[in-house]
Parts: sequence; C-alpha cells; structure tokens
Amino acid sequence: MNSILIQGKTFLLGEEVNTDINCSSKYLPGKDNAYVSTVAFEKLVPGFAKQIISQQGGIIVAGKNFGINSSREQAIQILHLMGVQCILAPSFGRQFFRNAINNGLPIIECDTAEINASDVLDIDLTLGTVRSSSGKEMSFLPLPQEILKIVEVGGLLNFITKHPDWNFSA
Amino acid sequence: MGHTISEKILAKHAQKTSVVAGEVVVCDVDFAMVTDTRASNTIKMMNKLDRDALKFTKNTALVLDHYSPPPHPEAAEIHQKMRIFADQANTHLYDIGDGICHQVLPEGGHLTSGDLVVGTDTHSVTYGAFNAFGTGIEGSDVAAVMASGKLWFRVPESVLIHLQGELQPGVWAKDITLHLLGKYKAEGLNYKAIEYIGSAVSKMDIDDRMTLCNHAAELGAKAAILEADQKTFTWLEAHGAKTPSPVYADHDAVYAFKDQINVSLLAPQVARKHHVDDVVGTDQIDRQPIQFALIGTCTNGRLDDIRQAAHILQGKKLAKGVRMIVTPASRQIYLAALREGLIEILTSAGASFEAAGCGTCVGITNHLVPGNNETVISSANRNFKGRLSNDEADIWLGSAATVAASALTGFITDPRTVTGGTWRNA
Repeated sequence: MNSILIQGKTFLLGEEVNTDINCSSKYLPGKDNAYVSTVAFEKLVPGFAKQIISQQGGIIVAGKNFGINSSREQAIQILHLMGVQCILAPSFGRQFFRNAINNGLPIIECDTAEINASDVLDIDLTLGTVRSSSGKEMSFLPLPQEILKIVEVGGLLNFITKHPDWNFSA
Repeated sequence: MGHTISEKILAKHAQKTSVVAGEVVVCDVDFAMVTDTRASNTIKMMNKLDRDALKFTKNTALVLDHYSPPPHPEAAEIHQKMRIFADQANTHLYDIGDGICHQVLPEGGHLTSGDLVVGTDTHSVTYGAFNAFGTGIEGSDVAAVMASGKLWFRVPESVLIHLQGELQPGVWAKDITLHLLGKYKAEGLNYKAIEYIGSAVSKMDIDDRMTLCNHAAELGAKAAILEADQKTFTWLEAHGAKTPSPVYADHDAVYAFKDQINVSLLAPQVARKHHVDDVVGTDQIDRQPIQFALIGTCTNGRLDDIRQAAHILQGKKLAKGVRMIVTPASRQIYLAALREGLIEILTSAGASFEAAGCGTCVGITNHLVPGNNETVISSANRNFKGRLSNDEADIWLGSAATVAASALTGFITDPRTVTGGTWRNA
C-alpha cells in the first residue's frame, strides 16, 4: 500500500471535546453545515473555525476522548468543510472514531502532549510517524490496513460502491 | 488461547475461526435498526448509494421513538419520510407509541442469542442481555449494511465483571450500573466489550438484565453481553425469536482486566445532578427535595420497573408539589401494566402516563420540562445539565423503586425505608 502523507498546521483543542455540542446543529436547529462550519468549537476556542478556514485548513490536535458522547456523523462533514485534514488525540469517542473513518477523515490515536500550537506536522499514516516543525518525532500504531483503505477512498460509501464484496485486497 | 463471547460472535459472523482484539473484521449483520433521530441522515446516505436493490431491508427496522409524538413539523416530516421509505424498501416499521427501539426489537422477535445487531443509538448495547452483540452505529454504517448486509468492526478488548452474591430486596440492576459508573467513571470503559457473569446475573429477570446491559453505554462500552440461560431461551421463545445459538466464553479467554463485585452489600444508589458518575448510596443523601419524578426510558421503563412503583404507591398519594410521569418502554408494556392494574394504581396516586417513547428522557418533545431550581429524580440513563430542556434544573438518577419512593416522600428516598419498597417478583 502507498504511503498516505499529510502535512498541515496545528490547531489545538482540549480534552473531552463533545462534537455534538461543538460541531453539529443539534443545538442550532435549522442551521446548515456551512453555517456550523464557521462557528464550530467557538465555545472552547473563540474564533477557532474562522482561523482554520482562513489558513486553508489544518490538523486538529486534541486531548483525550475527542468526540466523546457524540454520535453525529454530521460533525465529520462539518470538519471537512472547515478543511480539517486529520485529527490527533490520545483517544477518541467510539462512535466518533467510526464516523471519521466512514467519512474519510484520518484520525490518529497518539500522545499529543509534545505538540505545540504553532507546529507544522508531517504525518505518514501508513508508517505511523509524526514529525513536528519544532523537531519532535513521534510514532503511533498505524490504523489497520482495512481502515486506511476506507479512508483512502473517501469513506465507507465510496468504498462499498467500489468494492461491493468488501474486498480489501482489490 | 481462548476467546471471549464478543470475539467469538464477531469471528463467527466474519467466517473466521478466531479474531483478536484490535483486528478489523467485516461481519455479516443479523439485524439493523434506525431511529428517527438518525433517519434523515441515513436516508440521505442511502440515496447517495443510489441502489434499487437493498438486500437487507427485511432485516431492518425503522423506529419512530425519539420524536414521539413529533413536537414540530420538521420531526413530523422525518416521520413521513420514514413511513414512505419503510413502505418502499419493505423494512419493519414501529410507529409513534409502539415503543423505544431497544424494547421493540427484542419484543418483536428480531434478535436471538449469538446474533450481531446494530442500531443508530448508543444504547444498542441492550441486546447483550440476550447474549447478542449489540452496538451503536451511524448513517453511513446503516447504508452499508442495507446495501451489503455487512459492516466493518474493530474487535474490542473484553472486560469481565463478576457480580457475586445476590441483590437484596429494594436493590436493582440500576444500582449496580450506577455503582460501576461511580467506580469506572463515565466513558471509563470506552471501546470495551463488557461481559457480566455471576450469581447475581443468573438470579436477575430479563427486565433487570436489559437494564444492566443498557446502562453500559454510559461507561462508553461498545457492547455489554451476558451468557444465555434458560430464562433467556424462555423469553426469546415467548417473543417469537429465531432459535438461539448461544455463545459462551472459553475458560482461558483473554480479558483486558477482570473485576469482582459482591452485590449483596450494595445499597440503592443515585447519581447526583449533572454527572452520571457522581454516585452515592441513597442512605448518604440528607433530605434532598425533589419536585418531579420520571419512570421510563430504555433503561428502566419495563414492566418490573412499573411494578416497583405500583407496590410503593398503591393506595398512596404523591407528596405535595411532586409531579410524576411514567413512560412505558413499549406499547406491549403499557398493555401489560394495564392488565395488571398498575396504571390505575399509579394514576390514582397522582402520576400521569405518556405514550411509549424517548421524549421524556431526552427532552426533545417538551413533555417533561422542569422549572428553574427544580430537581428531577429519574430512572433514565443521563442527567447532564440541560438534558430536560432547562439548564436551571437538576436531574438525579436512580432505580424505579428509588424514583417512586422519592415521589412518595418528596425527598430522595431509599426505597427500603417505605412500604412496598422491597417488593421483588417471586
């Protein structure tokens, strides 16, 4: 399998980020994804969404249990609109993890304590390495091949359209 | 090396001899469920797939339970779409008032021991009470299942919790789950599959076993699963389920960790306001007034829960100023309670009955809105601030017996201290 490489600027969020509250229209009835993508995570970091959008996207680096308690797939669609390329956190909410994979958003379970706000990160999803512009190198257990395949084609629906038999080696 | 129940169910459904935790497998799914909170997204995803022949629809149920009855035109429109979709695709449909998804699926005979069941709701872990692997999913997942009958899973690590002893009169499965939430904290078992074993589980009736598995969602569990026994088989047969294929763990199965709890020593527990894992014994609460009492939800809206309340409130009145709502988990439970005379007992005591559904739990139908500075004692599973549409109200959680005892006195009350509070079905 070819290496999947990601490069982007770091945008920090804290621990236990609930994406139902901070990145969905659950509490903003009638508002569409385009609107939510401009105000997502506002309560946690004022101006967060506008910053990431103005810099043509980036990588979210968060604390443990990112997406906890959240089961809305909509959060990933909004993260895509914001230009989020990847999320790094020590752990994710179970359903958030599935939703990210199913919608083609790479997520990485790794220790994020050493990553600084201004770092530019070079990530190799396949090898499981992160290099930061401040000189830190980290490794993580790469996602299983099957999951990388789903991410690579942009999500689960694309995958089963291409591979109705779920053949990961095709 | 031996395997856990979850590993064995996933292996069998992936046509493999064995699987290990962390591995990704593609499994044949036995049954899929979609609630009205996720139906809009699911139908959108299905349309993206643009497939006429959805192979799996006969093994799919659409359940109109959360927005039941619909509080606004948008919800009513989702319901219209669901009815049309169910008709066209030939899925099962449970309409408004039929009941909560996690109750109507087992009642409808849609699952059996050894099955793999998915649903668009975190409390899909409830099906573990029947020795099925039940877990929560989202719209893309459902679309994939309906198109192919299959879905990917990352095999979870299993945790073995041995519940020794026997629950004392007035103490219920809810008190165990609250105790575990206090111990492991909310989401403390994120991704894990919990297996509960032991004499306390064997002695529980099915209603309590469903509570035990259901509330594991708040621990973050991917699944919570019990061994099947004669009680399981009798219940499944009575509800028209397929022949069970029970799955047992190997004696040398590998668990992330094991724990033992002697439940004989457990007192009724409550989760204090806002945090499901801020748990103490009712005996440690000093005259905490309540104004609202709720018995219902997928956690504790079953017949045994309504019976607990009726034994406590028979011939009595709710304390002055207390309002009480009972929402049975399904129409079948409502009918059973009606036939047993429980509805008359509770209505005479001052309680109001709502049609079966999730509205009084999630605060999206606005049928239970507490006032500012009011306290609700609820048999539900979540109590975060604002859950019932008012940030200025507090929600405490307890068993149905604790809720009824508290409605009787007007204070958070240990059910063992009131007449009828130690009732248990013989």
